[in-house]
Amino acid sequence: MTAAWKAAGLTYNRYIAVASRVVRRSLKEDKRIAAERRGESELRFAKWQNGKQGEVKNLDAANAANATEAAASS
Amino acid sequence: MMLSRAARPALRAGVAAAARPATLNATNAANYATLREIEDRLKSIRNIEKITKTMKIVASTKLTRAQRAMTESKTYGQTSNTVFESAETKPLEGEDKKTLIVVCSSDKGLCGGIHSGLSRKIRRTLAEKPNSDLAILGEKCKAQLSRSNGKNIVLSFAGIGKDVPTFADASAIADQITSLPTDYASIQVVYNKFLNAQSYEPVEIEAFSEEAIAASPNFSAFEIEGDALGNLREYALANSIYWGLAEGHACEQSARRNAMDNASKNAGDMINKFQILFNRTRQAVITGELVEIITGAAASEEG
Repeated sequence: MTAAWKAAGLTYNRYIAVASRVVRRSLKEDKRIAAERRGESELRFAKWQNGKQGEVKNLDAANAANATEAAASS
Repeated sequence: MMLSRAARPALRAGVAAAARPATLNATNAANYATLREIEDRLKSIRNIEKITKTMKIVASTKLTRAQRAMTESKTYGQTSNTVFESAETKPLEGEDKKTLIVVCSSDKGLCGGIHSGLSRKIRRTLAEKPNSDLAILGEKCKAQLSRSNGKNIVLSFAGIGKDVPTFADASAIADQITSLPTDYASIQVVYNKFLNAQSYEPVEIEAFSEEAIAASPNFSAFEIEGDALGNLREYALANSIYWGLAEGHACEQSARRNAMDNASKNAGDMINKFQILFNRTRQAVITGELVEIITGAAASEEG
């Protein structure tokens, strides 16, 4: 059986990221702030083709876009 | 004839007049100027020493945090690798399949040669296997490798190394890598291994492809349903990247601490040298002035 999140186009890493975000948000106030800092990611990335750097994009946004795209196609 | 004779003394006098005060002024000015110059340089070296000392302290405090993160992340990576060890997974030996090399460096410099060490290792590997692709984490190695092996780069990530790397970073990177169109036979995560506070060594961890895991000799010992294998692969990749990032980060902080320690020491040496030079020059100038005053006084007494 395919899991619901897989059917929705999420990768396993995306799935656990979402799950851990939910857990972090449901923590108590003081612990939540410390934990939420561990969940942040401000990475940027760029695709390369033939030795040339492409456009620099935000990684989180791109991953989210990937997920919605996969969900739309499935 | 007349003209040349008349012109000559004037010319000579002009030359002498121009030459003598100039040299005199120059030595005088040089004396005072060097004093001033030495003072300025002393000041700037002191400032540099202060900066490097502060950076060293910052790096030291960050280092303890980074080391803690490293030991924690190691358990992640090693635990996920136990599966492959007990399954005796080996990388697939196929010529047509590509290898992806993930390089764990960072955005920041001023930490000695750890990024260049990593780049050197990658260049060596690429010389053996020119068909490999690169995914580079961090600006430093990107800058170094884009010059020599720009054609092999498929992905680059920036924004690493500001703080202790998080698992969210690692899993986001792993996601982006798995979404690459090419099917890689194996993924190698190359990072700096923390041997001790002084030495690091670039090493790689393997993250296997699905076929490689399925082809491992002891694979039947595990019960795996349907999609679980792909999930495991993605998760293992994220774990490996997290491990590499955290350990690389610890190495970087430690290297920066050492680099800044050396820089402060060198600055201290230079300060000593310049202080002695400064004192000597000052004394020479004072002596010179005294001699001038005494001779002047003696001359006026006589007259």
